[in-house]
Amino acid sequence: MSFLDSLMLGLSMVANIESFLALGIGVAVGVIAGAIPGMSATMAVALTLPFTFALQPITGILLLLGVYKGGIFGGSIPAILIKTPGTPASSATVLDGYPLAEKGQAGKALGMALWASCTADLISNLALILFAGFLASFALNFGPPEFFTLMLFSLTIIAGVSGESLLRGALSAMLGLLLATVGLDLIYGTNRFTFGDANLMGGLNFIAVLIGLFAIPEIIAMVWNPKAFDGQKRAMGKSWVEFSEYRRCFKSIVRGSFIGVILGAIPGIGAAPSAFLSYSEARRTSPNKANFGKGELEGVAAAEAGNNGVAGATLIPLLALGIPGDVITAIIIGAFMIHGLQPGPMMFVINADIIYALFIGLIVSSVFLFFVGSVAIHGFKYVADIPRGVLFPSVLVLCIFGVFAVNNSIFDVGVMFAMGWVGYFMLRYRIPAAPFLIAFILGPLLEDNFRQAMLMSGSSPAILFRGPITWFFWTLTAITVFAIIRAGIRATRQHRALRTANQA
Amino acid sequence: MSFKKIAAACALTLGMTATGALAEYPERPINMIIPYGAGGATDISARAIAEALTAAAGTPMVMSNVTGAGGATGSVAVQNAKGDGYTMLFARVGSHTVNPAMKATLPYTLDDFRFVTVYEINPVVCAVTPASGINSMDDLIAKAKDGGVSYSSSGVGSLLQLAAVMVLREFGIEDPLKATVHIPQKGGGEAATAVLNGTVTFICTNSSALAGFVSNGQLKPLLVTTPDRLEGFDAPTAAELGKPALEQLVGWTGIAGPASLPDDIAAKWGEWMATAVKDEKFLAVMDKAGSVINLMSPDEAKAFIEGQYQTFRKLVDDLGMRIEG
Amino acid sequence: MHDRTIQLQLGIGAIIAAAFLLLVAIPTWVSSPSNVPNIILSPLFWPWVLAGLTAITGLAMVLTSIREPRPAEPAISEIDDKPRAWGRLASIAAVMVVAMVLMPRIGMVWTAMLVFVATAYLVRTSHPKTALVSAVVIPLVLYAFFAHVAGVAIPQGDFVRLP
Repeated sequence: MSFLDSLMLGLSMVANIESFLALGIGVAVGVIAGAIPGMSATMAVALTLPFTFALQPITGILLLLGVYKGGIFGGSIPAILIKTPGTPASSATVLDGYPLAEKGQAGKALGMALWASCTADLISNLALILFAGFLASFALNFGPPEFFTLMLFSLTIIAGVSGESLLRGALSAMLGLLLATVGLDLIYGTNRFTFGDANLMGGLNFIAVLIGLFAIPEIIAMVWNPKAFDGQKRAMGKSWVEFSEYRRCFKSIVRGSFIGVILGAIPGIGAAPSAFLSYSEARRTSPNKANFGKGELEGVAAAEAGNNGVAGATLIPLLALGIPGDVITAIIIGAFMIHGLQPGPMMFVINADIIYALFIGLIVSSVFLFFVGSVAIHGFKYVADIPRGVLFPSVLVLCIFGVFAVNNSIFDVGVMFAMGWVGYFMLRYRIPAAPFLIAFILGPLLEDNFRQAMLMSGSSPAILFRGPITWFFWTLTAITVFAIIRAGIRATRQHRALRTANQA
Repeated sequence: MSFKKIAAACALTLGMTATGALAEYPERPINMIIPYGAGGATDISARAIAEALTAAAGTPMVMSNVTGAGGATGSVAVQNAKGDGYTMLFARVGSHTVNPAMKATLPYTLDDFRFVTVYEINPVVCAVTPASGINSMDDLIAKAKDGGVSYSSSGVGSLLQLAAVMVLREFGIEDPLKATVHIPQKGGGEAATAVLNGTVTFICTNSSALAGFVSNGQLKPLLVTTPDRLEGFDAPTAAELGKPALEQLVGWTGIAGPASLPDDIAAKWGEWMATAVKDEKFLAVMDKAGSVINLMSPDEAKAFIEGQYQTFRKLVDDLGMRIEG
Repeated sequence: MHDRTIQLQLGIGAIIAAAFLLLVAIPTWVSSPSNVPNIILSPLFWPWVLAGLTAITGLAMVLTSIREPRPAEPAISEIDDKPRAWGRLASIAAVMVVAMVLMPRIGMVWTAMLVFVATAYLVRTSHPKTALVSAVVIPLVLYAFFAHVAGVAIPQGDFVRLP
């Protein structure tokens, strides 16, 4: 079967009402589910799975993919409106999205999130279609040593999101790394800070920590000083993003998309680190550097491009190797199997028509995402007009339900409350929360991959320098650390010069 | 009145309401805890039978994934639940035979649960990559004796870890812990990836987890633990290789309640399951996963699990694998 | 509070935390098997590294705070009704603790209603009537969604069960 034949066959499989309906419904369900904190894309996909049993394979899988893509974008809606990331992937969106909403520019932020998401989604899908084979073999070169060096490099993102003080960012990261050690040790299965409690043995639930760290401190802060929040009504402001703004952020969006594609193709990293990396890269290179974290539109664009860039690319290891990159793709693989399809190199030969049908469906899904997303934004934007005296208690209640739903655990609600106090303490002492979060995600990956590498080599550190990939990341890390130190010293000098000048 | 007294009083009232409710069990939805994440073998099995069970029981079955600590978190949630039949557990080989055999610090034992059935059995398959140049168990063992052989698992205390150790020992490696290296991964998917990208030499896991890789030619099966050859896996059985003892090495899924679950509720579950396992959709899903449906009565299930536990426990004790900390 | 004071307090706090980790927490609550071939593979290794890095960060913070010139204006804005603010803070903490106790006993929906009312009161809501209505409606809507659409077993408690 030639390429054209497969393409035509694929087209005929997709070009029917059911497929388009499945995609549309999927994206809509995903956006709504993603917008509800705790529901997250993962849960939405898991809930949709049973419905696909009765459908045609291609229709069922398109439905799931629609939910997945919608969910990743949907997470940005509460992140911007109520400082509660709907999915872990949208935590980087909070950094600039929420300050924009505070300024009455929620509509602009949401619009930019949508445009960036759709652009990144399209780039990611094209990358999947054009480079699936190449990226899949690249992904297979990632063993524990490569992962370790990549994580080490990713930890330098912390410097980019530390705000005014690098040291406080470091402190925040330490706290995140330490809390991430709670649970059973991966290599020996022994207890670490679990106090014999079965709930702690599983480690602290990431979404509980995330929501506790972002949403709850805001509520506690209002309890501390209701007057500061009172009467202040956030209007939607100018409700839509302008094309000139999109053009201004275009470079960051494209860069974020490619970061997403590369990190997405490597199984086991996920969308959150990609969003943070894209964000910190955008900040590093932007002329508006100082405005990041205070409501910079480019920050929202970069973060959303970073996480949506992952969505298409995670299908690369899935389709080309049969390897799930994260929980969501694990569920999607389950759907393939239930329909008697075995993702992997042979699928490109045996079921080439299905592969092309999926590709076409994916491209269409980017378009659907744009329209469904626009409708959703217009529906959700009124949240910004709710007076805070009603909004904040509602957010608290929503968080309780949402966090419980993640793992059906009341204990997790307690974790969220406790992290809320940690977050409030950090807010008062002006310790940035983002480094904590990045460290909390990357810390366990760093440690586990380091120890796995050591097991592989019989404790010889030479394995950490095997192959060009490790060298590449070592070099990158060295350059970045050097740049951070240089920038740090320069900033301190300027700061001091400014202060002395002011005092004189 | 102290808190304890109040609690006791509450428990008493609850006990009474519970007895009152027994006559018409089930009168409300039943919460089924799946101690593993979405997309895993347990989850697929549980969700496949959910619909049929709902029809059989005439009440909704609410599926709840409670993940963490290799199934321990979800299992403890059921261990501590009331024995009223409204909170039940999908027990799995990892959470209910391997974990208890390996972990001294586990907050539960087998006696904390009452098994109503084991309904599904998956054989174990050991596999390597074609690139490794290993073509048979003999090749693998020869290589293991030279040193430098490693295997992946979905974590300490998982079936994958114990399976690899048991296979190596059966094939004559005296101390598999010293001769080979265990490289645990975060989950089953990661464990399979580790073989594919060459991080480890081989993996032993449930056939369903490897079926895709084997049919795509990415992995080469060396051994299956079924009595007969397994469709889609071109590999000799344990018995053919002269190691029938390995037939005990199987994954299973069952249903359990807390130890206090009364007899009549257990009996009801027996009836429901007898109907549910005949459901065609369920059978189709299980068939694709390479599972064998084998419905056991509560007593059979208990004997089966106890037997597997004893085998594993002996292996763990012989090799000093028990985790005390 | 001045920025410099914050930095100093944080630095000292970090050093104390690191010392606590190294001397008490790690030896007591992190267990390691006896047969670990190499120290870098031990479950203790990473917590040790982290405790060490925390101590270094703390030291650096103390040092920079000493060298930092004294700024003119305080970094944390003070508020006028401090004792009452602390009282409110204590109340919201109490609300959270009570919610954790009540949730498994009376059910998540009823607890959420109480939490809503208490929080709305503590943030001195400017729309008390809307808040009261929302306090009843929102938990019910959330329950209906999570229990019946998403299929989550929302804790029902032992007294009044919702359909």
